[in-house]
Amino acid sequence: MNNKVKVIPCSGIGKVYGLMAREAALKTVLELCPEKAETICLARIVTGDKEVTDKIEGCDCITVDGCPQMCASKNVSIAGGRVIKEIKVLETVKEHKGKKFGSATQLEDSGEIVVSEIAGKIANIINQNN
Amino acid sequence: MSEFKVGILSCSGEECLGGTISRLATRKVLEELKLVETVTLCLPLYLAGGEEERNFAKVFPTISVDGCNKLCAKRSTEKYSGKINGSVDVSEIIGTENALNTKIVRNKDLTEAHFKMVDKVAGEIIKAISRIPPDSYSGKTFGGCGCKE
Repeated sequence: MNNKVKVIPCSGIGKVYGLMAREAALKTVLELCPEKAETICLARIVTGDKEVTDKIEGCDCITVDGCPQMCASKNVSIAGGRVIKEIKVLETVKEHKGKKFGSATQLEDSGEIVVSEIAGKIANIINQNN
Repeated sequence: MSEFKVGILSCSGEECLGGTISRLATRKVLEELKLVETVTLCLPLYLAGGEEERNFAKVFPTISVDGCNKLCAKRSTEKYSGKINGSVDVSEIIGTENALNTKIVRNKDLTEAHFKMVDKVAGEIIKAISRIPPDSYSGKTFGGCGCKE
């Protein structure tokens, strides 16, 4: 087990907010905090395989969810991950009323801006935590 | 237009390119396939949702789309929901090395070559849908080409 914070998005496939969650998490782990953070496939967590629960159990996790179902947060908790922060995409989206963010397939420029904002928030939490 | 619906479940894995391709290929089929109506479900809803979500594969003939040979979407669906009617392993189509690429995962980093992979996988999903036996359609008779009166 390494000490990297696990950033786990829902990647919801039905709405743009799921894509925004996914892109924000990936921007964080690939661009902003690659030394301090990593992601784990949420689908692997859903399987309940021992290999993945061993990897996540007791680890600091930040979940990123695109809808009120909070799939990432719930599944990470079930797998034994320690959710230190639940990021809700809709909270940041509310600050950008009237904008078109794109679709569940492709983000528009406004969607990318929100993704960058969310990724920045996640990176701040990670940097404060380390 | 057919009244029949097929479920497509993507792993959408975040760790590697295969997950991104699985997600985009699934989206492409959902948006563009007109002959058969398609529906999807966020995989983690099996645990975060309720009985309705866990009944997905019982209600719809379902194709799983996985980015790598861990086959998380296929195994989760069979564990929590029901037997699937077909599966697509992206790594068998685009190659394991491509599928397990951990550097290029974000949509914005994809090139034309990656979008060709998406098209190829979408084609395989459609082939898997075409192989679903007619009696899998929730007790309804499949009208094939849709021209049946």
